[in-house]
This record gives sequence, C-alpha cells and structure tokens, in this order.
Amino acid sequence: MGHPLSSPAHARHALLYMWRIRKFEEAVEDLFGRGMMHGTMHLSIGQEASPTGMCMALTLQDQITSTHRGHGHCIAKGADLTRMIAELLGKEIGYCGGRGGSMHIADVETGNLGANGVVGGGIPIAAGAALASKMMKKGIASVSFFGDGAMNEGAFHEAANLAAIWKLPMILFCENNKYGMSSSTEKAFAIDNLADRGKGYGIPAVNVDGNDVVDVYEQAKIAVERAKSGEGPTLIIAETYRWKGHSRSDKNLYRTKEEIEEWRERDPIPKFTSKIIEAGLMTKKQCDAIAQEATDAIIAAVNESVKAKPADPAGLLDAVFKKASA
Amino acid sequence: MLTMAEAIREAMCIAFDERPEVFLLGEDVGIYGGAFGVSADMYHRYGAERVLDTPIAELGIVGAAVGAALSGMRPIVEIQFSDFTAQAMDQIANQAAKIHFMLGGALHVPMVLRTPQGSGTGAAAQHSQNLEPWFASVPGLKVVVPSNPADAKGLLLSSIDDPNPVIFLEHKLLYKIPGRDPVPEGSTRIPLGVSKVVREGKDLTIVATGIMVNKAWEVCEKLSAEGISITLIDPRTISPLDMQPVFESVDKTGRLLVVQEGPAHAGFINEVIAQMAGSASFGSLIAPIKRLAGMNIPIPYAPQLEKAAVPQIEDIEIAAREIVKNWR
Amino acid sequence: MSFKYPVVMPKMSMTMETGELIIFHVKVGDHVKSGDVLFEVMTDKIDMEVDAPADGVIDSLLAEPGAVIEIGKPVLIMLTDTEVMAFDFGNEEVGAVQEEQIEQVEVKITPPAAAVILNESVKAVPKARSEAAKRGVDLRTIAATGPDKTITMHDVNNAQVDPAMAARQKANRALIAKGIEMSRGIAQASFSRTVNSDFDTATLIRAWAGVLRSRPDLAIHPHVGVALIIESKYGSALPVFKDPDHLAHEDLKALVASTSEAAKNGKVPLAMLTGATTTIFDVSRYSMNSSTPLLFPNQVTSLTVGYGTESEKNISLTIDLNFCDFYDGALLLDALVASITKH
Repeated sequence: MGHPLSSPAHARHALLYMWRIRKFEEAVEDLFGRGMMHGTMHLSIGQEASPTGMCMALTLQDQITSTHRGHGHCIAKGADLTRMIAELLGKEIGYCGGRGGSMHIADVETGNLGANGVVGGGIPIAAGAALASKMMKKGIASVSFFGDGAMNEGAFHEAANLAAIWKLPMILFCENNKYGMSSSTEKAFAIDNLADRGKGYGIPAVNVDGNDVVDVYEQAKIAVERAKSGEGPTLIIAETYRWKGHSRSDKNLYRTKEEIEEWRERDPIPKFTSKIIEAGLMTKKQCDAIAQEATDAIIAAVNESVKAKPADPAGLLDAVFKKASA
Repeated sequence: MLTMAEAIREAMCIAFDERPEVFLLGEDVGIYGGAFGVSADMYHRYGAERVLDTPIAELGIVGAAVGAALSGMRPIVEIQFSDFTAQAMDQIANQAAKIHFMLGGALHVPMVLRTPQGSGTGAAAQHSQNLEPWFASVPGLKVVVPSNPADAKGLLLSSIDDPNPVIFLEHKLLYKIPGRDPVPEGSTRIPLGVSKVVREGKDLTIVATGIMVNKAWEVCEKLSAEGISITLIDPRTISPLDMQPVFESVDKTGRLLVVQEGPAHAGFINEVIAQMAGSASFGSLIAPIKRLAGMNIPIPYAPQLEKAAVPQIEDIEIAAREIVKNWR
Repeated sequence: MSFKYPVVMPKMSMTMETGELIIFHVKVGDHVKSGDVLFEVMTDKIDMEVDAPADGVIDSLLAEPGAVIEIGKPVLIMLTDTEVMAFDFGNEEVGAVQEEQIEQVEVKITPPAAAVILNESVKAVPKARSEAAKRGVDLRTIAATGPDKTITMHDVNNAQVDPAMAARQKANRALIAKGIEMSRGIAQASFSRTVNSDFDTATLIRAWAGVLRSRPDLAIHPHVGVALIIESKYGSALPVFKDPDHLAHEDLKALVASTSEAAKNGKVPLAMLTGATTTIFDVSRYSMNSSTPLLFPNQVTSLTVGYGTESEKNISLTIDLNFCDFYDGALLLDALVASITKH
C-alpha cells in the first residue's frame, strides 16, 4: 500500500483502520465492563498509528506476529471484526473457536501468525517465518510486534541475533509505550535510547513517532524494502503511549494525571485527521463519516457475535493435534 | 548392522530426499557433524541451506523452528542435550504445543525436536537427565522414545511426517551400538502411538522405556532359560500412549513390572500404573504392581554413584524373580 | 388335618442371617391353597414373598410385622394334609423331624479360630478378591501366605470350604440319610430293563408320569409328582415336577434345565420341594451302570437310570410291594420302555 498522504484513498484507508481499532477497543472495554467477556483484556487505545502505519507498508502475504496487546495489529492486517469479537465472546465462529481468546488470535489469510500471551514469544517465531520465506524464496517479510518490555527477554536477544547473522527478511517493531506492566523504561533499561540496542546486534535501528501514522509508514516502508532485498532486519522503536492501564485489572496507579493528559494531546487520530484536511485530501465531514463507518462496522460485528452460538466443549480432545492427511 | 546414530541419520537423509521442506538446525550439527555425530556428513551432502549451524541460543532456534514450521517448512531442530530444552521451554510448551489448539486449528507446527537424554556417560547432573515427564505431561506434544536402531529409523520418519510437534528422545548410550534387529532398508515407517510387544510370556508383564527395554530383554532371556516366561512391552511412543497390549498381557500374566530410567517420583511410567489401576484389567492382578525407576536424585558424577542412581540389569532380574516367586 | 407345618424364615442369600418380616397376607383360620402368598420378608439384598407349600389352614402367627427373625425359625404354623418336603413319613413324628431339620439349616457364620485374620480390612490381590467372592469364600477365613499378610491366588485356591456351606452340606446329608433309613423298612423289589434309545431327562419324566397316570389303581396320591435327584455343592437336591405330562414337551425341557441349574446352586423354589409321588435317580451321567435302589416312604415307585453303552441305558424300577405287585411293576416298566422308544 502507498503512503497515507499520497491519495484520498490511502488517507481514507489509514484513517478508517485507525478508527476501526479505536472503536473496537472501546467496544471491548464496554462489553468487558458489562461482564460479557471472560478473562482479561489488553487494550491499545492511543497506539493505533503504529500497527496501521506498519501494516500499510506490507502486503497481504507478508506475515506478522503479535502480542497480548494485539487487537490493533490484527485489525490493521485485515482481520474480520466479527470473528474477532466472537472469539472474545467465546463463540464457535470466533477465530479460534473460542479456544484462544484475546491473546491468541491468528488469521492465516491475512498473514497473521498469531498474537502471543508470552512476552517475547512471537519474536523467534517471526524470525522462523522469515527464515522460511528466505529458504522457500517466497519474497515476503515478517514483522514481529513487541513492546519495550520484551526487549529484555532472552527471546528478543536470541531472535535478533539470528535475524542479523542470517540476514532474515524481518522487521523488529517495538511499540515503546514506556511501560512494561508497571515498570517504566527508565527503570528497566540502563540506556536512554532503545534504538542503541540495534548496534549490539549489527541491526540498523530507527526511532519513530509511534503516534504519527505518516512517520511510522515512512520508516516501515524503508525497513520492508531492506528486508525484501536481502539486506536483513531492521529494528524500529515506535514511541507511543498506552492510555488505558496494562489490562483490565490495572488501576493506573503508576502514572500521573499530567502524564496521561499530555499524551492525550498526542492522540494519533486527530493528529492524522488534521494532516488529511491540511493536505486537502478529504473534508472534515468526510473524516467524520469515516469515524461513523468504523463505528457502524463495530456495532454490526458485536451484534452478529452476540447472537452467535457459544463454543461447544464436545470437540476439545480432537482439537489438540492436527490429523495427518492421507 | 547400523547403530542408532546411523539409523537416525539415515532417516533424516531419506526425509531430506523425499521432502525439500525438511531441514536440520541446531548447535554444531553442520560442519562438526553433531555433538554425538548423528548428522555426520549431512552438511557436505546437503549444504548450508539445509543443515544450519546455529549460535548457542536454544530458545531462539526452537522459536525459529516453530516459525518456520508455521510457514511451510518441516524443521528438525536438534538440542544438544535434553537438559537444555529448559532454555527453550517457552517455545516448546507454550508455543509449539499449544498453537494448533489455541488458534482453533488455523495453524499447526510440523516440527521434530531431537535431543539426546539419559545417564551413564559421566556427564553428571546437568547433562544426564531423563525428562520424559516434562514433555509427556504437556498436551499438544507427541513424545517418542526409541529403544533400538530399527525403531529409531521408522519412528523418526513418522515423526517428520506428523503435522504436530514431536519430541524425539534419543539415549546417549544407544548411539554407538547396533540393535538386536537389523535396520530395515529404504523408506519404511513405524507408526506413532503403537506399543510393541517385544516378546511374549505368561508369567510376568514388563513395560519398559528407552534404554531399559534392552536391559529388561537381557533379564527375559536369562529367566526364560529357567522356565519363567516374560512378556516385554516397549511403548515406543510415550505420548500418546498405547496401553492395549499391556491390558491384554496383564489379563494373561496377572503380574506387572514397570521400568524407567528417570526418577520415580512423578515419572512417566506412573502413567502406565495409573491407567492399569483404573482399568478392567486391574482385577486380573495377582500381585501388586512393581515399579523400578531412577532414584529421586540428580545424576551423580562418580561411575559407581551414577550406576546406583538408575535401575540396572541386576535390579530388574531381582524384581522379576521376586514378583513371580512371592505372588502365586 | 394331619400335620402342623411351620413355615420358616427362608435363607435368601449366602450371607443372610436374619430377615425382617414385613407383612402377613393371611390371618389365623384362613384357608390357603398351595402357592398362595402367606407373608413378605426382606433382607438388605432381597425382598421375597413366601408361599404356602401346600393346601391348608393357618393355625398360628408366631411373629409381628417388623420383627427381625433368624433364618430357619418359624414365622407361622399351618395345618395341612399334604405331605410337605420330599419326605413325608406319614405320622405325627413329622413335626418333630422337621423341627430338627430346621435346626440344622440355621447356621451362623463365625470365622473359625485358626488362621483367621482378625482386622476387618483384609489384604488380598485383586484377582483373589473377586475369585473369593465368586466362590462364596469369606476372605476372613483364608490364611494369607503372601508378603505383608496379603492373600494370594494360591491361598484362595487352597482355601477351605465356607463353614456355612459345610454346615448346609451336613444338614442335607442328614436329611437324605434319614430318608434312606426309613426306606429300608419298606417291603420292596427291583427289576430292570435295557433301553436301546436316546432320551433326555424331560422325555423320561414325561413318559414316566404318563405311565403312572395310566394306572391310578397303583397310586396313593391323586396327582403325579416326579422328583429328580440333582447333585450340587450343597449335597443332593430333589426338585419335584408336578404333573409334568400336562406340560408341553419344550416347556418341560426348559423347566428341567432351569431347575437343574438352580438346584446346582442350592436354590430350589420352595414350591418344588413337595408333592413327590415317585423319584428318578439318573446315575448314567456319572457313568454308573446301576446304583442301590432307593424308595422313599409314601412313594409307590422309584426309577434308577444307569449307563449301559453309548446307545443303551439301564432302567431299574423299584416298587413298594404294599401297593404294587411284581406283575404290575413289570407292566409299568414295559409301558415306560414302550413310551420312550416310541419317540
């Protein structure tokens, strides 16, 4: 996909997808608050620009691995909203048949190899996918989305090193929302600039404004081209902010109100909307209509999912192993 | 006759030739030919594109194997000692084992993780473990424990065929020795999840895994000359476990002795006992079920200590004699 | 009415020692027919109706509903003219004899002194447990030779017979012996013929009943009841097939089979313990050619079937000379042979 500001169509896509993510997360928050969702939810409200910008630089066949806070990645890569909500509601038609829940949604058709409940779990997997792409000469790239917290996991280190030595067509995309659960990056890292880590592996690294979909896209595009031309991996550190707590059980105890207000001003959606209007690509009315379109899509998805059949325990034992084909 | 290492290598080469998506990765598997020589010469035969030497990064390489498996390849990942699977446990137990189920069948992980296990080489506590229960207790993993070269070849080919993650546990002491039976030639398979009745008898049923199968065999031979006939069963696949031949045999013999190398407490072989105790064949027992297993200690270093830590042929013989004599 | 017959608490299972009387279906003075329900009893395993063994009148009720009564102890007394039990000795002595028999049947199960395992929970290998239960052997009475005082299969296989069963066997033998003693006092004669034919028990019973019925002049009872001796682990049982010639052949065959099976397990329906007018002893199945003729009091005839060759059997008839001449006896045997070979 082209640059978000290159045409009205592209601008529309970027804005629509950011709104879809935003409305989805708000709907999930609402449903969860009503006790309709089991377990816990990890919301990414405020972080929409990162996955949207990154995924606009990818094709459908390019692959991603995602995190426990993965709804945004999923939607940006093209997932079906109904099947996502249905999964969160534990329905048969959900992406995982109700067996995975929020943290394990995968969509093979859109190249999504799955969200992961283990911090850092998806990084070596994305490296493996990139390895397969290279070995099978598929010409696709794989993106591992992870948070700042994952950068201290052994899995990150080992996967990054493998990607570097084997020049894997991979993008290591860090959404630095400044907090891994409650420990801030200031406390978890002895360095100020997370991008400096790239040097340690021999991987080029860039900082981007994770709340600016244009900035994200531009750097993502460069990284994708590097990957696909055999030059190996790139580390992207996207600075963003998680405006709701770590998960539903958070109580926002570890951030000040001022901090939270400051970042509300950096909300990626109004930011990009202004840019669209400034560039004359769409009118405010058209932008509002897009927001409404997203809202309608979410409402439809929720309505459909709520009516759907709950997942049946009958098939559980058979679901563990894949049956060999004859 | 082929040794177990040679049989395993033969299976890998057959798989490599049959399927271009099969490849091997691990530490020292390429140029060095594998820490135990199992992949000797494969690097020269198939090249660096299919035999990948990796840095020391178990979590990373198993994870890469998982990712590759998700994307259309069929990796064989070798972890140099089964003890080091601990470094990779997230990718083995949390990722590979669960992806097919968690993701509602959308993806699957056709991956084989081969690793040497067991004691007797003086490698001491951190290089000698038998970790069968770690893997057997995780739903979503298949676990195979070959006891001889012929089985190893057929089972490995089936493991590579299997669309699910398979943990293939090879005993270090068995690598360099040929088995009792010759290894069949060509591309032949032994199905997973089928126990083998190695020999039939009427006085006692022995269920043993891995290297203990061979020790038990010696005991069976010796006692057979004295008129005590023993049925010896080798599960071969410990998960999923085929108990049918065990039930049928115990219905005939009424006596059950189970033998494993790993520590007794919470070991794999307890699954055999548990299933027997809850089965219809329980009523056929004319003796209590006897278990021989490793001591509940880390494997010690000195040879006499190392030997004392796990069942030996003498121990199996004594147990077999006792159970037949005391329970008529 | 000649006899005072006590109807006792029946033993309905191997381990039963007492039963609870639930309710009487009759009162004193009621006339009852053979088969009418007299009262209902219950143990923890079984509920049962106890029937009148013969026609008669209720003389007295000996317990209250709800009472717990030991097996073998009388629950009511009825007066009857009909001989009850396999043996009817024709006089008042019956009451006393029957009392004795009842005493012998009443057995408590107490573990023998030697080799007993005193604690309630007995250790035995699984197969030994089920085998002991199947054989009716109480584990507490078995000496354990396995490790940790565990009962092994070997121990079960060598176990002594259950004392309750031993007592029952003893009682049964006493009963038979008494009858034989009395039979010695009867003037009797025996003669035999060889039958060149294959016939099963049902055929024999039917044919014999038919022959007897054709000679009412030789009978002392109005009905025909053919008793068949059957050996069981408890001793000999003598179920009586009443008027068997009135049953269809297949039905009689089925009845013979099921009764034999029941008798082998020591369970003969109460109703089939009375009313014998003749008795058949088939020793051919034990490969015996013949055996001592046994004629019971109040039965004019008895038959013994012995093994001849593969295709031949010996049938020996014994007659009570008080009621039957030699000549009539010969005619009866002739008629029987003719009837059997006709089929």
